[in-house]
Amino acid sequence: MIVEMSLQLLKHPQMQFGATTFFAKQHKGDTCGSNGLPLTPNSIIIVGRAQILKTFNCKYLCQYLDVIRGKHERTIVVSQYCGEPLVSCIEKRPFDWQEVRQIAFQCIGGLQVLHKKKIIHRTLSNENILLQANNEIKLFNYGLYHMSDAGSLVSFPILHVLYTAPEVFLNGLSNSIADPKCDIWSLGICLAELILNKLLWSSLKLGQRIRKVLSMLQASTSILEKIAREHNCLERYLSIPDDLKDLIEACLNVHPNKRPTCEELLIKPCFDSLKPKDMAEKNEDIYRPFQIFTLHEFYHWWQLAGGDVPQELKKQGLIRSTPPILSIPSLVLIEGTILGQDRNPATLYDPRIVKMPLDTLYQRFAHIPFQVFYPLIHSQSDIIEKSNPPPYDATGLPLIIKERDPEYQLHRVILLRRLLHGYPFTSDLIVDEAKKDIPPLLRGEIWAALLSVRSNYATEYMRIDKYTHTSTDRQIEVDIPRCHQYNELLSSSEGHKKLKRILKAWVYKNSQYVYWQGLDSLTAPFLFLNFNDEAKAFACLSNFVPKFLYNFFLKDNSAVIEEYLCKFSQLIAFHDPQLANHLRDINFYPQLFAIPWFLTLFSHVFPLYKILHLWDKLLLCDSSFPIHIGLSILTQLRDRLLTSGFNECILLFSDLPEVDIEKCVALSSCTYENTPKSITSREHENEVYHKKSNLDITGVSLNELKNELCPRISVRDVANILLKNPHKMLLIDIRNTRAYKRCSVVNSTHIPFSSVSFTENIIENVGRDSDLLKSKGEKIVVVVGDEETDLETFPKFLLQCNISKVCVLHGGFNKFLELPASLSIPCASVGDPSERQRN
Amino acid sequence: MANRSGTAQRPNGQTQGKICQFKLVLLGESAVGKSSLVLRFVKGQFHEYQESTIGAAFLTQTICLDDTTVKFEIWDTAGQERYHSLAPMYYRGAQAAIVVYDITNQDTFGRAKTWVKELQRQASPNIVIALAGNKQDLANKRLVEYEEAQTYADENGLLFMETSAKTAMNVNDIFLAIAKKLPKNEQNTGQTGSGQGRRLTEDNPDNKTVMNCCK
Ligand SMILES: Nc1nc2c(ncn2[C@@H]2O[C@H](COP(=O)(O)OP(=O)(O)O)[C@@H](O)[C@H]2O)c(=O)[nH]1
Ligand SMILES: [Mg+2]
Repeated sequence: MIVEMSLQLLKHPQMQFGATTFFAKQHKGDTCGSNGLPLTPNSIIIVGRAQILKTFNCKYLCQYLDVIRGKHERTIVVSQYCGEPLVSCIEKRPFDWQEVRQIAFQCIGGLQVLHKKKIIHRTLSNENILLQANNEIKLFNYGLYHMSDAGSLVSFPILHVLYTAPEVFLNGLSNSIADPKCDIWSLGICLAELILNKLLWSSLKLGQRIRKVLSMLQASTSILEKIAREHNCLERYLSIPDDLKDLIEACLNVHPNKRPTCEELLIKPCFDSLKPKDMAEKNEDIYRPFQIFTLHEFYHWWQLAGGDVPQELKKQGLIRSTPPILSIPSLVLIEGTILGQDRNPATLYDPRIVKMPLDTLYQRFAHIPFQVFYPLIHSQSDIIEKSNPPPYDATGLPLIIKERDPEYQLHRVILLRRLLHGYPFTSDLIVDEAKKDIPPLLRGEIWAALLSVRSNYATEYMRIDKYTHTSTDRQIEVDIPRCHQYNELLSSSEGHKKLKRILKAWVYKNSQYVYWQGLDSLTAPFLFLNFNDEAKAFACLSNFVPKFLYNFFLKDNSAVIEEYLCKFSQLIAFHDPQLANHLRDINFYPQLFAIPWFLTLFSHVFPLYKILHLWDKLLLCDSSFPIHIGLSILTQLRDRLLTSGFNECILLFSDLPEVDIEKCVALSSCTYENTPKSITSREHENEVYHKKSNLDITGVSLNELKNELCPRISVRDVANILLKNPHKMLLIDIRNTRAYKRCSVVNSTHIPFSSVSFTENIIENVGRDSDLLKSKGEKIVVVVGDEETDLETFPKFLLQCNISKVCVLHGGFNKFLELPASLSIPCASVGDPSERQRN
Repeated sequence: MANRSGTAQRPNGQTQGKICQFKLVLLGESAVGKSSLVLRFVKGQFHEYQESTIGAAFLTQTICLDDTTVKFEIWDTAGQERYHSLAPMYYRGAQAAIVVYDITNQDTFGRAKTWVKELQRQASPNIVIALAGNKQDLANKRLVEYEEAQTYADENGLLFMETSAKTAMNVNDIFLAIAKKLPKNEQNTGQTGSGQGRRLTEDNPDNKTVMNCCK
């Protein structure tokens, strides 16, 4: 019973979609652009332009879902498709006047939305007005003219002869003076058909139809009347109420400038009875109830469950493969011109619509309990919590599998969209869920939530000047066509424009920073995820930089970057002394290979799909995470690095080999969690995210840092570990015996600096405690000194003996004296056997 | 794609004659085609959507010249002015440099001249400098005349060629010309693989400044 209810949800009559296909105009032979490089394929430009259509969510418009590129510039458009086209109702049943009014009202409503967004339908006809079971209509295929850039990207005319306004023919089809008024004419013809209940000129051939349309220009009487006469339905015409007659006549005005706009039509008396009466109805759009799932989500699950649009089109014969021999040109001229390869014009555009079968999805989801669609988010009652169906268990599955499991994604999407709906109040819950994994369909929004993007982001973006020419423009312009161009969206002209605007906005907004090459790559993932919401992409970037790349884009960023690279070297030394020693021996410094890693947070070195997974994790961590990622990459390549000299190593990084991102994420999370925070703390961190006190590391100059091969550790971290996990730490006190005897930490090991010979790197040189160090395992080795001790030589010596996890207590022994009571650790002085608690 | 002349070969283990290693650096404004030239020379490829270079990239290629095997260790640098301060790290100790400009963009030629000046002042005194006017395939959009560049090169003792990474024109030739001009004395012979790259930092011990050392 409950299962049936969820099937009913899924089988909603408007949860259906279909696909159409056409060919984009092919560039001739190997024509090049003015830069000598191949032109962007028109199908890619179309994909870019079509994206915005996916955001239209008006009940009178079919939703666009996807645009897919096939071979040879084939373009497939997937869109909601439900209900019955009006053509198949006309002449089958009469429409009463009120029904016509209603249909007219809704069509104008749909057109109004389009025209406001500067989109012209151009092919409005009774074939693509779909009547729904609830008597509402939806316009279909309204985006073709827009996505094909007024038809210039395809080589077939975009029109429906019978419904086309006469001026369109007069201006010439290729002449693209875009005027929304042509849609009003088409609407007039649609309504005429409907009201006369007659398919107009259905027996005429194409040429004759065009002549008919043009003959309207000479009509001396009303056009509707003329049409009625020609179709022998004058009687019906005479019975039409005046208000409707007036509406249709107004639409069928041969002068486009005298034809009313949508707004003008909507105030006509014929719609008086249909206007929303009260506020609630007027604000319907604002108070639209929360949709349990959207058509986009439904389509996503359908795809995961094996739905394949091109495959369906093949099955229905809309995509046919021709034997290659037939595509050989008839003649190739010596300078390269190809002749006789033209595609049969009849195949350029296929008017057929293929409905996508949904049965597989229904079967796949048939057993899903109804409650899954209403996930429990907050509950203080055990009983309620237990009555919930057990969560779908996907733990332990590889991320790639989870992302492709339709059922798992159903659960995740349902839950996370609920949470996003409650953002910012649900921020904590979103973070918790994001720690498990991030459903790809909602990644853009989830990232924005993780980056605390605020709700006024769009207005803020709007206020920024993105157009005034600046001296950075040339650099931005030459970088964009080199930025992740394997990706369709980013290589489309729409993508280029958007990226440019975002970068210019960022440079404008951040006057303290400048554009560094690499910022383009850094922006790319945000744009890719928010292609239809440029402002959000910008907001994400704006919040991302201060959190993870604070001051990296200063005009003089040398101090920031150098410190970062030093910390990277130290982290390598901390976790992998052998590798650190080798890299130092061959002079393989991070400066030579790691700048693009950190400056772009790997967005310049990895393809997008890898960056997404990497950043999924990064966004949950702090600005030290990138150096752990760096370490994990080195760890993955460790064997090759250890056996290679300088050249081989540097070559390895010029062409970074396949890096397994899941492994990379796992490794870096592991070191991130097992490294005391202060090991990676930096002077140049953003204070907003890293508050510091006297118990943390402060005041280390770059020159000091450069000489320290092992990292410092803060007294706070040392005390915490000593109090909670004393077995995880080895405290080595290298002060002189007098100082040690006066006061020392209980259980610390005393190896006076002066007692060790540093001539060779042999751990036995430290004396009897060498075994302790050799068998220390994963313990952290904290070297404690004071102002009088040399604090570089000893840790360096340990490092060179391949002792891992060596660090130096920042501030020396006296820092212990500054600890507050809550963190005080046991100290003792030799000769005074009673341990005393210090504070 | 006949993009590689017979003389350019990967090392094949035969060690007849001497082996010389040279460090070569590419300099020039962004997007003039430095990375594309290196890619063409090293791998015989051309990518229309060549990614921009951040910091620098390192590649090697070996060519045979009579009885000498010449191994180039190539540093391909970032073009943006901001990365300028990194450049000394790469050109210090270099025996050769290719300064690249785009023949369809006058500004890049101006920038190339600045690089030449800087090299003459700061780099090793014997450095062999070649000037490459790239994107020769776009000669119909040319804004820098061949003669103008040739005259400038002559005055400054530079090798000069117009190249095209796209069509491979003169790409191997310019490297070959450099190889011919480089002195093949004892100093530069050594076993393949020993890090000539070390010079990179050894010659420059106190200047580990990464970016914008602001001079
Ligand atoms: N037409 C043409 N384009 C080129 C040529 N060399 C490079 N390009 C293009 O110019 C752009 C910049 O090249 P790139 O090698 O990245 O320049 P770099 O910044 O100097 O390394 C890329 O889009 C290349 O495809 C050439 O010889 N001819
Ligand atoms: Mg480059």
